[in-house]
Amino acid sequence: MKRIPFSRCATQRLASSTPRRPSCIHNVAPHNHRIQWQARLQTTVATPNDGIAEMMAEVEEVPAPESTSKFPSRSPSRKPLPLEHLPSPHPRAAAQSIKLAALRSRLSLPERFPLQSLARTLVHPSADADPAFNNASLSILGANLLGYYTTEYLLCNYPRLPMDVVFAAHDAYIGPKALALIAREWGIETAAAPGGEVDPGLLQFKRLRPGSDLPAALQRQLPWKWEKTTTHKIVNTDEFGSNVKPASAHALQGTPVPVEEAAQSFVRALIGSLQLHLGTPLVKRFFRDHFLSRQLDLSSLFDFRVPTRDLSRLCAREGFEPPVARLISETGRLSRHPVFVVGIYSGKDKLGEGAGSSLQEAKIRAAAAALKAWYLYKPLEVTVPSSTENELHPKNWKPNMVDCGEVIV
Amino acid sequence: MPLSAIRTVAKPQNGVGAFILQCKKLEFHYCDWAGSSRGMNAFIKTNLSAFAKRNPSIEISVSPRPRKHPVIRAHYINGNQRSICVRNMSNDIVKEKAELLRDASGEKNQKYSKPVTSINESVRGIWSPFHGAKIQI
Repeated sequence: MKRIPFSRCATQRLASSTPRRPSCIHNVAPHNHRIQWQARLQTTVATPNDGIAEMMAEVEEVPAPESTSKFPSRSPSRKPLPLEHLPSPHPRAAAQSIKLAALRSRLSLPERFPLQSLARTLVHPSADADPAFNNASLSILGANLLGYYTTEYLLCNYPRLPMDVVFAAHDAYIGPKALALIAREWGIETAAAPGGEVDPGLLQFKRLRPGSDLPAALQRQLPWKWEKTTTHKIVNTDEFGSNVKPASAHALQGTPVPVEEAAQSFVRALIGSLQLHLGTPLVKRFFRDHFLSRQLDLSSLFDFRVPTRDLSRLCAREGFEPPVARLISETGRLSRHPVFVVGIYSGKDKLGEGAGSSLQEAKIRAAAAALKAWYLYKPLEVTVPSSTENELHPKNWKPNMVDCGEVIV
Repeated sequence: MPLSAIRTVAKPQNGVGAFILQCKKLEFHYCDWAGSSRGMNAFIKTNLSAFAKRNPSIEISVSPRPRKHPVIRAHYINGNQRSICVRNMSNDIVKEKAELLRDASGEKNQKYSKPVTSINESVRGIWSPFHGAKIQI
């Protein structure tokens, strides 16, 4: 907690920079990250005295929203600004919002999770460019947490999953579409236009007008040739296997965005905010209940090109006998709809079985079944790395299986 | 590429893991003067605050609707609305109707001909003519 000498305020008031926030000359209010929502009217550019001001400095170059140009000149006898001039709802309004309280209760969040934080997670940077009041930083934290928990679940439970399927599974659980859908299932309503007088329980973002193009930060860019490798997708971009690195959450300040973009940023920011207020165990439980509980059939994600070739390469790599396809049974070979059941054998072991209307189709299906049986192997006992967090000497840790990877043809 | 992956979105299963009440808003409309709102007015005066306390995840609004029958209108997460006219109903029946709206899923009423529907595969599997004991004809 820091006090500002009055003289220092006075000299800074002479600075020529235009205020992005209404400033109070009696700026002795405590500036603290935990209570920044209370101090909305006290945060100014002219009195940088803590981390908030530093964060604001990086967005100074961004042109101020239109509403800020209506700010009256700084005079000692300034009245509080009318709410319509704020870019997003005042944090004070959060405590009175019925929608926010209902949302908190609907998500079964405890009472100690403050409504003001919940309100902040609903403010997309397109509505409020100030990083102290929008959800950009929280959504970065939340995206990392979501990625971490999903990755450790998938890699520990299915150690042999091919990389493309890992990407697709991430996309199915926490991808942009999935998060937008989750926000809709939580009953999030959107505000027609953001503003200080709007109910803080509504999702605040600047709408993309129908028919207009996506903002440049969200548009798909064609990858360079070196960006098409799997290594590049693993190391340099997001967890969904995109070729190009996605735009930062801070990059969308003031630009109109589609609803889905704002909704997914809310879900991510909520996870980040829960982590800060309630801690890791509750976030993990929330993640398990709301994300991992969704149904995803991993075996339906595979799309093989030449499964017979892959299978013979796999058998050669693992030292099994080369796979042989044998006809198990058939019916109506000369009829209009014959059915063949083919099994793939490696020595005396049957690796897979498939039925098809031609011998070739049945063989391919059997090879795909054998490959899926290999790739979808699931160890019986799994301890995920995050289960040993905050423990000095984790006792129940068992090392996970690490596979050498998919077949390379 | 030996294999590629198909992009999908995981399917929601409300109640597996987290449960989210589908009713998100209840509006109670009453009339001060008309006799058909007598039960509704009694419900608002005596039971509504307890009802709201028991169901914190529902946004509740009370508003007058002069010279009209009393109505309870529910808004659901899937965007549907459902309203019940509670004219001439007593306090208890109004409460029952509010609970009925609260417990509804917001889907349109439809007839389910199968006793069980599931997105999981059958544990027993599908019968196949090529397996099991061979039948000699």
